[in-house]
Amino acid sequence: MKEKLLEITNLKTYFFTDTGQVPAVNGVDFYIHEGETLGVVGESGCGKSVTSLSVMRLLTDTPGKVVDGSIRFKGKDLLSLSEKEMRKIRGNEIAMIFQEPMTSLNPVYTIGEQIGEAVKLHLKYNKKEAKNHVINMLKLVGIPRAEEIINEYPHQLSGGMRQRIMIAMAMACNPTLLIADEPTTALDVTIQAQILELMKKLKKEKATSIMLITHDLGVVAEMCDRVIVMYAGKVVEEAEVTEIFDNPKHPYTKGLLNSIPKLGQKMDRLDSIPGNVPTPANMPKGCKFAPRCSQVMDICKENEPDLIQVEDGHKCRCFLYQNEMARVVN
Amino acid sequence: MFRFIVKRLFGIIPTLLIVSILVFLFVHMIPGDPARLVAGPDASYEDVELVRQDLGLDKPLVTQYFTYMSGLFQGDLGTSMKTKRPVFDEIADRFMPTFWLTIWSMVWAIIFGLLIGVISATKRNKWQDYTGMFTAVSGISLPSFWLGLMLIQLFSVQLGWFPTGGNDSWTSYILPSITLGAGVAAVIARFTRSSLMDILREDYIRTGRAKGLKENIVVWKHALKNAMIPVVTMTGLQFGFLLGGSIVVETVFSWPGLGRLLIDSVSYRDYPVIQAELLLFAFEFILINLIVDVLYGIMNPQIRY
Repeated sequence: MKEKLLEITNLKTYFFTDTGQVPAVNGVDFYIHEGETLGVVGESGCGKSVTSLSVMRLLTDTPGKVVDGSIRFKGKDLLSLSEKEMRKIRGNEIAMIFQEPMTSLNPVYTIGEQIGEAVKLHLKYNKKEAKNHVINMLKLVGIPRAEEIINEYPHQLSGGMRQRIMIAMAMACNPTLLIADEPTTALDVTIQAQILELMKKLKKEKATSIMLITHDLGVVAEMCDRVIVMYAGKVVEEAEVTEIFDNPKHPYTKGLLNSIPKLGQKMDRLDSIPGNVPTPANMPKGCKFAPRCSQVMDICKENEPDLIQVEDGHKCRCFLYQNEMARVVN
Repeated sequence: MFRFIVKRLFGIIPTLLIVSILVFLFVHMIPGDPARLVAGPDASYEDVELVRQDLGLDKPLVTQYFTYMSGLFQGDLGTSMKTKRPVFDEIADRFMPTFWLTIWSMVWAIIFGLLIGVISATKRNKWQDYTGMFTAVSGISLPSFWLGLMLIQLFSVQLGWFPTGGNDSWTSYILPSITLGAGVAAVIARFTRSSLMDILREDYIRTGRAKGLKENIVVWKHALKNAMIPVVTMTGLQFGFLLGGSIVVETVFSWPGLGRLLIDSVSYRDYPVIQAELLLFAFEFILINLIVDVLYGIMNPQIRY
């Protein structure tokens, strides 16, 4: 049995704004095994990124706050660590790659300085060791002329190169968990493939676990072992990657899968899920997906289903698979 | 970079020529007759005309301008009508007190302005921020003559720590430089605050935190260097203004600087001194702009010359 590296239980992160509190993440449970790649899928605003920032405890510059739940990493509860202990984990044991490679590097410091900084901090390397390590990391992520690039500034590099730099920076201290928040969304399709290939290669070499946040199911199919699907701050479905594609349960997951065009299939229009993600102001009373669901029942509008096991290793939050319970309530 | 500086230095010459024409015209448009002032109120009409000829003021403006410029190119700024001393000496005597006063004021202003700005930005909407911004608004709104007089009243008259005026020792610098620096510090604080608050929202700040850096390093190393880019321009301009000498502060503290020289020479219609001072201010501004541009290039690697 594999060890659970990260285990999140009943995580609730609320945003405190002038107009009231907004539950961005509202009771999320999931775990990541050692060496596993977990895909976190969902539309914009479903709480994927907030979940990852909660894990890193990087909500400081947002109005967000974790109000409940626990985040256990290697047995430690991250939420109860002091800021100093947390700093030893950030960039060292858990590293993160962000969506925007163009703006995620500091424009006034050189590449070498920015990667070397973390190496000196966590691995306690001196200047020369750090420099060599940075050059090796850059070579590892496929950057040509690594010896020269360390003295260059971010604006001298393309988006794909900058994302490689971000990956090199994230992997520099050999983290056990890498959180990648939409790492390829801002890149060209050809560059996307290269970056995914690189992440796969690094994962194999370093046995890093990856939490891959994306809205792109193609990326999920390419990269992940297991998938969770999020909707309106909650997990609605969780399964192995093959299971999600072959046997989706939740109507939302089915909708997402149907909205991908398939090769060789003739269709006039692409399927899409009608409506939009509910805003916090008009959050539906029962199942959050009910207003957009094609298989909606009366009970869905009144009560919210639980996330239950529907098959081995396959969980789903939908009354369609909770007939027993539905009847009782009715 | 070197070529850029040389190019810009040569660019100063045409700018100064245009400035010299404008200054010359402007100074001669000031109402009042210098010949009458030199000759004295009781002088006869003939005497005044003699003085006018003597000063060369009877010639057409164009001729006067060329006479003045040819002197200027030979390093001769003319003679003060009031003191009959060379204008160069007049200005040289007054330049250093103003220069050092400016330097001291800027040192205060930068230290306190930056500190207040950074604290306010990082403790946004907390009491530190409110205190800092209250201080800054006070610094901008307090008229400097009032602040100067209050400081004299408290520290010179009541406590007797510093002299009330003049510049006889280093202690003379303290009160005037605080008075002069207060406004600048306030402007720097507000600029730093707003600039730093914008930068702290940038993605690369999150990257820095995600690396596990201490918040102090994120702010003082990663954010501040970016936030300083607009602040440097503004500070340069303020420096230029102060170098011109503050008429009010120099008057309050009986400071023998360029500001008081200017007001004296304007009231005496001392054309050569006014012209020389204005040209000097223009030159200082251009030079400071050049320095700011060079600093810009050093701080922001995206700028290439």
